[in-house]
Amino acid sequence: MSDKVPFSEILVYLDGSESSMSACMYAILLARSTGSRLHAIYCINTKALGDLVKARIFVSQEKTEYLADLKKDAERHIRHTKKLAESRHVNLVTTVTEGSPSAEVSHYIKAHGIQLLVLGSVNMIRSRREELTSETDRMLRTSPCPVLVTRDDESVWQMFEELD
Amino acid sequence: MTLLDIIDKNLVIVPLTSSRRDDIIADLVNLYADRKGLSDEQRQYVIRAVTDRENMASTAMEKGVAIPHAKIPFLKKSAIVIGISRIPVDFGGKEKSGIFFLVLASEDNPTEHIQILSSIAKLCSSDIFIRMLSSSRTPDEVYQLFFD
Repeated sequence: MSDKVPFSEILVYLDGSESSMSACMYAILLARSTGSRLHAIYCINTKALGDLVKARIFVSQEKTEYLADLKKDAERHIRHTKKLAESRHVNLVTTVTEGSPSAEVSHYIKAHGIQLLVLGSVNMIRSRREELTSETDRMLRTSPCPVLVTRDDESVWQMFEELD
Repeated sequence: MTLLDIIDKNLVIVPLTSSRRDDIIADLVNLYADRKGLSDEQRQYVIRAVTDRENMASTAMEKGVAIPHAKIPFLKKSAIVIGISRIPVDFGGKEKSGIFFLVLASEDNPTEHIQILSSIAKLCSSDIFIRMLSSSRTPDEVYQLFFD
């Protein structure tokens, strides 16, 4: 049996949640131990923003304010992720994009030959209502490559701390 | 965090009895303030923030739904208060509103706020969901609708 790792390009999806930070740490551990290249993507959900303006829930002034907030949030998380990767000597390719997160991630996977997508925890199925499906759930269902779903638990943080 | 994570059956008013926009906002905010132990100053701040936002443009949508909302700097977690009025009231939109989602957002997580508002907007595009919500008689019935 071949002992070759079946991936060399890993993508981790960041959305600012704690579970996406756990996913990021796990992806750094995985990239380091397999010698894979790690990519991190943060998508500013301008699709949802546009929908809120269309539905007249947001006025255009709010859209502008939120867009600025979301961009700042994206920069903050990307900066933090870079620091985490650098601290464990892992090279990281970062991208901030805008649009519908699941569509943007799918597009990035195809465009960059990604072979493994790492996601933070997906939601428990508590409702059959399709409208309540999260972006992470959609990515799990639509990803063109294999997906690894991490758990937001202490052991990931501990393993990350223990890695030199 | 999704809409289902922040829905709380203790933050539902059925029926709402006020018939003026500002009174409805006050009813929804007061329930939140009572449950979460806000000070009078904080309570007034939230009412003012939501009213100021409504004064910019009404959040009353189609199908008799309104989604008043505001970013609140001292909130650690986002919250939703749901109110169902038996008699639709003038909330400043083209049509009267009978279903209200008050969304109070923490300033720390704009992504989460967008996701929550977006989920509510999508849910409220369903005629069946709106009909069932309008005919709910108790907070439990309202709460359960989201988990069906």
